[in-house]
Amino acid sequence: MIQFENVTKSFGSIKALDNVSFEVEDGEFVFLTGPSGAGKTSILKLILRDMVADSGKVLFDKNDLAELSIKDVPKLRQQMGIVFQDFKVLSERTVSENVEVALAVSEVPEDEWNARVSHVLKLVGLDKRAKLFPAQLSGGELQRVSLARALVVNPKIILADEPTGNLDWKTAEGIMELLEKINKEGKTIIMATHHEGIIRHGKHRVIKVEDGKIIKN
Amino acid sequence: MSIHTKTAIESIKRSPFQAISAIFVLTLTFFVATTVAILVYASNQSLNYFETRPQIISFLKNDASQETITALQGKLSQDARIKDVKYVPKEEALEIYKKATEDNPLLSELVSPSIFPASLEFSVVDLDLAENVIEEVKKEAIVDEVGFTANIGGEKSLGDVVERLKNVSSYIRIGGIVFVAALALTSFLVLLVIVSMRMTTRKGEIEILSLIGATPAFVRSPIVIEGLIYAITGVMLGWSLSLILWLYVSAPILGYFGQIPVLPREPLSFFMLFLIILGIELAVGLVIALTGSLLAVKRSLKK
Repeated sequence: MIQFENVTKSFGSIKALDNVSFEVEDGEFVFLTGPSGAGKTSILKLILRDMVADSGKVLFDKNDLAELSIKDVPKLRQQMGIVFQDFKVLSERTVSENVEVALAVSEVPEDEWNARVSHVLKLVGLDKRAKLFPAQLSGGELQRVSLARALVVNPKIILADEPTGNLDWKTAEGIMELLEKINKEGKTIIMATHHEGIIRHGKHRVIKVEDGKIIKN
Repeated sequence: MSIHTKTAIESIKRSPFQAISAIFVLTLTFFVATTVAILVYASNQSLNYFETRPQIISFLKNDASQETITALQGKLSQDARIKDVKYVPKEEALEIYKKATEDNPLLSELVSPSIFPASLEFSVVDLDLAENVIEEVKKEAIVDEVGFTANIGGEKSLGDVVERLKNVSSYIRIGGIVFVAALALTSFLVLLVIVSMRMTTRKGEIEILSLIGATPAFVRSPIVIEGLIYAITGVMLGWSLSLILWLYVSAPILGYFGQIPVLPREPLSFFMLFLIILGIELAVGLVIALTGSLLAVKRSLKK
């Protein structure tokens, strides 16, 4: 599904990624780990086509993302679900509206919204919080909103950038359980984290990045 | 209601003072635009009235025989420069006088038909020809004097009267257009500033939307809808206020101008005129809203 072939990306004199190659198959759960600034977020941004590699190739379903026109980037992103460390929920919208936005973006017919939103909120355990605003939710609940938004469009892959970074251990465990459950349903998950406990607990493939290089795969 | 319209309405609710500013400026613009449009219409109507009514009266000598009068009438009717030739005998001239002085019967009692000369009234197809025609008619043996009907400011010739009207009409038109254009530009700039402010406050939201796959059209739709809401509200308010004003003043204005149809007398024609103006204003309002908001969105997304 995802292939990195000798990918290099620099920001000025700093090499964020240096000749990185790896592959992620359909249905895999992969941890991207390494210290802060190692290049984990750069890998996710390249998959999201938020930036383009200086050299090498990033392939998504065998399509070179560098060749994708700006006009086609939204279509690519609509196939992915993204979960951020800082949640990135829309503060002026309720929980259900936050989830609906993803459906609107993906042009899902409005008559399907209610059923899909209810299903996904139940899945993440927020069905009783649907009408609340983000300011009324805890950190763990906000991350669940972010996860629900990512899942509702039935994405091919979920990219999670430090989704447990701002959460206590118990809440982080809850989020991990959810991600495991989603993975078991067949979704590919790439999760960037430097949380050793989470990685040990997860027992999944680990790609360790340091100074822009893969040191363990 | 679409998610974009809902977002636009929520955005208006969140910053009501920005919305009020935009709607106020647009209302003012379209109030003035409607008022100026009616003034231009009225000036055109009065100009048209003076240009098309019988303009020249040739007073006939008392001793003119019916044959010579008929001959002159026929001659004038055949002249390509002249139209609508009408013979007004002494009796009819007296009737016209009586009608004009009916408020003061004593004035009409004091006169007899003999003091009113018979006349031939006619118009010219082009007012530039009036001076020549008058000079030629003056030379006719049975013609005593030649005058013109419109005299609004002591002008010495018909040309002066029409010239004065044309000047007034063009001052209203040019002044009105300049004033309305200045207001329209102000509305455009206010919209531009407000939409730019909206884009700044929604920066975080736009970033999230973009990351989850929103197209540029999805991002700009609520902003454009917001601009359209301002424009339509501004047009409707400005137009309605002007309509109320004209409904209030039309009766005294029509009374003051008498026969000159500065405004439509029929209610249906009156409202048709306003509906035409509303249609044009809605089109202009939509253009202002669309260009203003799209320009601001484009600039903000580039940053």
